[in-house]
Amino acid sequence: MVKLDFIPHDQKTIQQMLDVIGLKSIQDLFHDIPKDLILEKLDLGAGISESDLFNELNEISKKNKIYNSSFLGAGCYYHYIPSLVDFIISRSEFYTSYTPYQAEASQGFLQAIYEYQTIITKLTKMDVANASMYDGSTALAEAALMATRITRKNKILMIEGIHPEYVEVVKTYCWGQNINYEIIELESLDSKLDEEYAAIIIQSPNFFGDIEDLKVIVNAVKNKYPKCLVIQVMTDPTCLGILSPPGELDIDIFVAEGQPFGISPSFGGPGLGILATKKEYLRKIPGRLVGKTKELNGEKEGFILTLQAREQHIRREKASSNICTNQALCSLAALIYLLCMGRTGLKDLAYQNIQKANYTKKKLLNIPGYKILNNKPTYNEFLLSCPDLDSLIKNCEELNLLPPLKISKYFTHMINVALVCITEMNSRKSIDLFLQAAKNSTSEEK
Amino acid sequence: MDYKFPKELKYTETHEWVLLEDEVATVGITDYAQHQLGDIVYVEMPEIGMIFERESIAGEIESVKAVGEIIMPLSGEIMKTNSKIIDNPELVNSSPFEEGWIMKIKISHKDEIENLISVEEYIKVVESEEA
Repeated sequence: MVKLDFIPHDQKTIQQMLDVIGLKSIQDLFHDIPKDLILEKLDLGAGISESDLFNELNEISKKNKIYNSSFLGAGCYYHYIPSLVDFIISRSEFYTSYTPYQAEASQGFLQAIYEYQTIITKLTKMDVANASMYDGSTALAEAALMATRITRKNKILMIEGIHPEYVEVVKTYCWGQNINYEIIELESLDSKLDEEYAAIIIQSPNFFGDIEDLKVIVNAVKNKYPKCLVIQVMTDPTCLGILSPPGELDIDIFVAEGQPFGISPSFGGPGLGILATKKEYLRKIPGRLVGKTKELNGEKEGFILTLQAREQHIRREKASSNICTNQALCSLAALIYLLCMGRTGLKDLAYQNIQKANYTKKKLLNIPGYKILNNKPTYNEFLLSCPDLDSLIKNCEELNLLPPLKISKYFTHMINVALVCITEMNSRKSIDLFLQAAKNSTSEEK
Repeated sequence: MDYKFPKELKYTETHEWVLLEDEVATVGITDYAQHQLGDIVYVEMPEIGMIFERESIAGEIESVKAVGEIIMPLSGEIMKTNSKIIDNPELVNSSPFEEGWIMKIKISHKDEIENLISVEEYIKVVESEEA
């Protein structure tokens, strides 16, 4: 038996415990596992000292390429994170705490989640937000399921322009729940929509950067089929600093990726699934909900997990979702981020994103061979048709700029098209470098 | 534990009571059922006009600790639901047979009434569950 230094029992105590339960050795506890599956030896090698380990890891980390600036978005965005965010989330009470099942011992985090829910409702002007889902993609899938529960219909209509990976996640959830879906062009909405659909899903700003005219679209849907729900999804909710909030557009369920709110892009995760809806759908919402309440025998206020009868541990197979968690630390980061920014700060940030993106667009149009493919207004992303995208990417890499997305990764027929993302983090200097990279990759060398 | 068992009603083994008046059946849950559920916080009732078969799930009753199903005692169309219990679900606890009624059904298959059990048979159901 492997000797484990971190287990406090000595051999004598272990033997006593084995005697009580009537076994001879610890191995007897695992006798149900087939012999050929039992691990005999873990070939980890001899241990090394802390300083040697540090040096080894340091060498490995040097393989990382550190870019000076990013032109990549497509669902994960590089925005400024105020230092207050990390300072607060690093407090061990938040960083290491577990799920707040025991309200009397978790008031701190329950209050934080409650405040996160509140700030999301203020930002989106929706009636209620939950404690969060894993990320934008699963939040969207859960919203689709929620719509089928509310309407008792099991068909979903997706409008083209949703992040391709989000579409795949929705498809997986639909498959698991026997829900049918169709993906159509926005132009076909009027002809394809019928009373069989539980909801339509539309992303705005969409994957290609277009800002859709949601007021017109929602009206068109609700005038014909008032019972059909409209789900809006977005991947960079910093745009809410400027764009009309879903609550003002009669959106039924709003979902978003909350990573842009104070969470580092890291390696593509963790994310934060924002989900908000109308008051009338409150009991159909998946995930955790924190509520504010009063003591039974007094006046003191407190926070609790509420409406738990929707959840698995009570409703079991009829639960609104199999999720029994939330992205607590990430939601706290988002809360602190939004509190730091404030209403005017977020508006200012959104303006910077738009203005810098527009500056980049204008300058790109002056370079022969480049075309902007968007016909609608855009936020901080746009489609750029290039004379030689591979060359542009190579030039970016050489200048230490994280290149934009090659759209053919998802849409194989769109050759030489890039999805460019410009945020407040792109300085004038870095944009000019990008323009230089673009100039240098035209067929007409300067 | 003393539960109320009104004699003039019919019952189901799933703890619904039925008041029969010609073509219409008024349905609710019994005193025993409300006691088992605890404080009721929400009743999800079917929409008027919906048609259900006997023994299908017409709605749900949510308490602080559990969720119970409202099972159709007879096949029929939902004619009316009790709007009072939307804002005051506690009426189902305090007055399960009167103010806490849940829905009125237009009976479609009168012969199904034979499946309902009498008050004496229902008392036996409760006694065996309590044992």
